Amino acid sequence: MSPFSAVLRKDLLLEVRGGQSTVALGALSLLVLVVLVFAFNPGGGEQGAEAAAGALWVALVFSGMLGATRAVSAENENGCMRALLMSPLDRAALYAAKLAAAFIFMGIAEAASIILMVLFFNLEFDARVMRLVPAVLLGALGFAALATLLAAISSRLRGGDLVLPLLAVPMFVPALIAGVKASAAALAGAPLAGSAVWLKVLVAFDVMFVAAGYLLFEYVAGEE
Amino acid sequence: MTAALIETRVLGKSFGPTPILRDVNLSVEAGHGAAVVGANGAGKSTLIRLLAGLSAPSLGAAMLFGEPARSLRPELRRRVGLLSHQSFLYPNLTARENLEFYATLYGVDDARATAIEWLERVALGAVADSRVHGFSRGMEQRLALARAMLVRPDVLMLDEPFAALDADGAALATELVRDAMDRGCAVLASAHSASALAELGFAILTLSRGRLVRAEPSTTRSAARPPLARQQVS
Repeated sequence: MSPFSAVLRKDLLLEVRGGQSTVALGALSLLVLVVLVFAFNPGGGEQGAEAAAGALWVALVFSGMLGATRAVSAENENGCMRALLMSPLDRAALYAAKLAAAFIFMGIAEAASIILMVLFFNLEFDARVMRLVPAVLLGALGFAALATLLAAISSRLRGGDLVLPLLAVPMFVPALIAGVKASAAALAGAPLAGSAVWLKVLVAFDVMFVAAGYLLFEYVAGEE
Repeated sequence: MTAALIETRVLGKSFGPTPILRDVNLSVEAGHGAAVVGANGAGKSTLIRLLAGLSAPSLGAAMLFGEPARSLRPELRRRVGLLSHQSFLYPNLTARENLEFYATLYGVDDARATAIEWLERVALGAVADSRVHGFSRGMEQRLALARAMLVRPDVLMLDEPFAALDADGAALATELVRDAMDRGCAVLASAHSASALAELGFAILTLSRGRLVRAEPSTTRSAARPPLARQQVS
């Protein structure tokens, strides 16, 4: 088994045994969707699609922060991050494993969010929901990449829990806008090609922040 | 004279304006051991953290295998073992899973067999499949020692190795350290008291307010013991 696989397997095993992140992410997604469906009281059509897309992406952002924080903070128990940094494990591979774990946690939460969104916003499980998936996956990947890097920085700071959302949310705004637009178009019945420009923005965001995390993680994860 | 595996040169560390370590020079060769003793806050743990590459020196150098510890190549990091204040163990993994995980990270062949072997060596075989969060402090310390040593390191750093260990645990730790030194491992340990480490033939270096103020050769040398660690006190 490769070190990357060992770290990822360990994180997933800890999550299955602890179950804290997935349950919390699911509950948070449910809460966000319930509040927003009553706040917007959407009708059908394009307005309803936009409201549903917006609610879905708010749930993604909140669950993403929780998932990425959990993936990194699990190493703070008993100083395990120090042990990982001391080991022969390549630090870029460590980042990749943490990113993969955060992405998986977010993916599970997003799957639940999509189901809840369809139910609460009176949508149908049809091709429109399937056209939603590329934007959601790209958004989850980009946010996981960003939040994992920022979580490593904030875990070393006093008041780091405040720093992560203060940094992550503004930096994610371009991808958030693109994701909401692409999702709204998909839910309104537009073909995938109609969302191409927004999907390209998401891809560019993903490339930028995955690369940034890959290059910078070893510098932010170590001690002074 | 063989090259030092553990070495510091004019090593200093400050946190802001506060100096923690000043002008520390020491070296430990293969098969030798040195114990750094001192009161709380003397800088013992900071010294070990610098040599483990977990923190950057403010001045001078902390070196392992002749290279800066902070930027050690992966193939050299594979040869270093550290027992820290923190156990480096995942509470929700079992004892065996913890050791298997680290064995895999360090590229040990047959991680599972190695984990089981070391659990037996530290007398934790009966609780191999128990989660660490249920362990006593002494059991955690034994497991942490196994974690540090299962890679058969050439450099071993031990931060208060006998903490929380009962008499049997301390005897076990002593035996494991002696075995490591016999196969050529360089060992640097920190402790409040030098007595247990002096038995192992360690040189005793006294740290006070960040400075090495005294160096004592061991008085318990035997023909079977390797020569003492070389040390310089500025």
